[in-house]
Amino acid sequence: MAYVELHDINKHFKKFHASKDINISIEKGKLVALLGPSGSGKTTILRMIAGLEQPDSGEIIIDGKVVNNIPGSERGIGFVFQNYALFRYMTVYDNIAFGLRVKKVPEDKIKARVTELLSLINCEGLEKRYPSQLSGGQRQRVAFARALAPNPQILLLDEPFAAIDAKVRLELRTWLRQMITKLNITSIFVTHDQDEAIEVADEIIVTNQGKVEQSGTPQELYKNPATPFVAQFIGNSVAVENYQEFRYFNRKGDGTKAYIRPEFVSVFKKGESVQFANSAEEAVVEDIIFRGSSLEIKARLHGNLISANRSINEPEIKVGETVDLFIYRLYIVSEDEVFLATNSSLAEEDVVI
Amino acid sequence: MKSRRSVIPGFGISMGITITILSIVVLIPLCSLVVFSAKLSFSEFVYTVTRPRILSGYFVSISTAFIASVINVFMGLILAWILVRYDFKGKRFIDGIIELPFALPTAVAGISLTHLTTTNGWVGQIFYNLFGIKIAYTRIGITVALVFIGIPFVVRSVQPVLEKIDIQYEEAAFILGADAKTTFRRVIFPEILPAIISGFTLAFARSIGEYGSVVFIAGNTPYETEIAPLLIMSELQEYDYSAATSIALVMLLIAIVILSINALAQSIVSKRVNGKA
Amino acid sequence: MNLRRENKVLKYTLITISFIFLGVFLILPLIYIVITALKDGIAGYINAVSDEYAIKAALLTIEATVIAVIVNTIFGIAAAWLITKYAFKGKKVLSTFIDLPVTVSPIIAGLIYVLTFGRQSSLYPILDSYGIQIIFAVPGIVLATIFVTFPFISRELIPVLTAQGTDEEEAAAIMGAGTATIFRKVTFPHIKWALLYGIVLCTARAMGEFGAVSVLSGHLRGKTNTLPLYIELLYQGYDFTGAFAASSILVVLAIVVLILRLVIEKRGQKELDLNK
Repeated sequence: MAYVELHDINKHFKKFHASKDINISIEKGKLVALLGPSGSGKTTILRMIAGLEQPDSGEIIIDGKVVNNIPGSERGIGFVFQNYALFRYMTVYDNIAFGLRVKKVPEDKIKARVTELLSLINCEGLEKRYPSQLSGGQRQRVAFARALAPNPQILLLDEPFAAIDAKVRLELRTWLRQMITKLNITSIFVTHDQDEAIEVADEIIVTNQGKVEQSGTPQELYKNPATPFVAQFIGNSVAVENYQEFRYFNRKGDGTKAYIRPEFVSVFKKGESVQFANSAEEAVVEDIIFRGSSLEIKARLHGNLISANRSINEPEIKVGETVDLFIYRLYIVSEDEVFLATNSSLAEEDVVI
Repeated sequence: MKSRRSVIPGFGISMGITITILSIVVLIPLCSLVVFSAKLSFSEFVYTVTRPRILSGYFVSISTAFIASVINVFMGLILAWILVRYDFKGKRFIDGIIELPFALPTAVAGISLTHLTTTNGWVGQIFYNLFGIKIAYTRIGITVALVFIGIPFVVRSVQPVLEKIDIQYEEAAFILGADAKTTFRRVIFPEILPAIISGFTLAFARSIGEYGSVVFIAGNTPYETEIAPLLIMSELQEYDYSAATSIALVMLLIAIVILSINALAQSIVSKRVNGKA
Repeated sequence: MNLRRENKVLKYTLITISFIFLGVFLILPLIYIVITALKDGIAGYINAVSDEYAIKAALLTIEATVIAVIVNTIFGIAAAWLITKYAFKGKKVLSTFIDLPVTVSPIIAGLIYVLTFGRQSSLYPILDSYGIQIIFAVPGIVLATIFVTFPFISRELIPVLTAQGTDEEEAAAIMGAGTATIFRKVTFPHIKWALLYGIVLCTARAMGEFGAVSVLSGHLRGKTNTLPLYIELLYQGYDFTGAFAASSILVVLAIVVLILRLVIEKRGQKELDLNK
């Protein structure tokens, strides 16, 4: 059952059309990512759900009620701001207590709730500190606790990991995912980092240029991109403009453009492959990048520089070497549609991604 | 009025307070100036503002304000430079005292400067006896008073910009073999030029309208040391509001021109630095 | 710190020039005022500053200054909050009008009030029927003082509020806090030093305003004479000791203002660094 719904939402900032006919439906208890490049309108959607912005047209529905005219403070929402927006002149305790004090909750109940939250975020003993005396990770957790204090039904997070350095970010991702699962609170977060979205979210909504491109589970998006944008945005795709020259791929539609992901490609030294010996194509290696656990091989095929992954345990390949490339699949783009095309030499074999 | 644009409450009340006070203090009086001006007959206006005595008043105001502001550009640059780049005893004292012209009532400054610069004043007698130069009751005196009130403008606009210039620029210029003079001219000066221009125009605009510190030292001899604000004042004292308004309109026009020149200069310079506006 | 060796000659030349320049233009006038004020001895000085009219002028100056500071504080907070926390049409025009008073000659400021409230104005009969006199009376002096210091407080607050952004206020609003709570608990701690600084500047300028007040005052000794106008009166009556004695009060206040300014700036900076 949908808990948060957006119907035909449009929003302009002066002449800039920030949201175009947005339709979204989010189930109760889900952890959803709004994913898109900067300027794609994802933060605007989040801010409209929170009541921080008003849509020009369309309806926002929470728990079956249209909330367009209900102020953000009465929508049962907790909001974690991108830079946390902790009150710099209040202690950690006062920050977390703020929402409860505004609601005139008795001071003893506030104390109990703040103490509970402090232990939830592992920040016991920090209650007298000011935000400037906390580390980035601690600030984020305090912001999280402050948003949770009034027991919101929905938690909204705007780029929750953007302001944190890489190492701590990974830890916090896991922590946040565990917290949200534990609390079973409907959560929506904004991110421009696909790894983050794929790793943390139950469901991803991809936005681009003010529109929703596709929504679905990370697996669905990965397997069946519905639009050229998603095909290109998810995974490290290489675009080719002349896929009709590639052997064993039947043409679909009028276009000649396709996206190829590195994991769709195998590289073989000459004579190495037995299975695909006849259906592979020759390519010249131009660059090899060491990725730690694997190698990324870049080879020229029909004028395109195709990326492929290769295990470091396999025989070494050198730059300039002529190799066999076998492409399992590619995404063909025609107008606004995307087709998954499988190498016809694989016949009807089932392939699992 | 309710703001649909922001969740932060208080739009109505802050807008209400702002508009109410702004109306009483600025907008209504400004409107009455416009209404009154519209009632002036054009020929009378032209006759008033082109009387030789009035024209000479404009000339005295503009020329002394200009010279004083140029002096303040040089001294302001030196002061900003020593405050930002050097360490020396009394630096905090200088930094504090620079604001004195803002804090000291202009009339107090006026009478004190006048007494110091008369032919038997502490400073005035030196100049009179050695060079035969009279300061008080001449245009030089007016310029002295305007230098006094204009001191903080250039310093305070150049100082923060100078502070922000990364020492790396100068180091880069130095490594490329530029000497100190070239570095200043080619690297630092272009950076602080917008601040110099805005400091100059602010001081200039303020000096043209200045009254309190100037009336005492000027001596107010017609055609010699009568400044434009004083002419408005004398028309007002004779209850000739039409003449006073006419003179004031021309002064407002001059102020608008000066401030527009500043705005134009700022946009040209920022275009050159940033590629585009 | 610097790669190059400082040019010692240039450094001390510039510093010497600065000291001479400021010494002649700023320090000497101050010293002169104090010495002239005390020329007739301490008794003469006390006599001059405790003159009945001097005290009345000082009280009027205080009255006008206090009202101007209160009005401008209310206005400055409201305007700065409005300009930095909301997006609305006409913001630029509003800012221009707020800054306008400091670019206008004080004499012209006086003139526009004479045109608005003077005998020839259409407002005059209405105000007169209620017995309200503005021109050549205390209200005119107060208005002129408000006008010449109009943007002093908002100008100090706007940069601080702009730098602070709107996140904290939005966070508070989304938790249901009202205007008063948000301002008192969230915004005010950010601006308190800037506000104090603005009040100090406003006070300094308000008590010293001469031109605009001179136009609007009826120059009635003991009634509509502020301290600067009283000084002018004494000076023109060749009572130089009296004029400089009265001036010395304002000199002391100016020095207090400068010291306060430095102290506030230092405290505010310290707190700002702490909260970076």
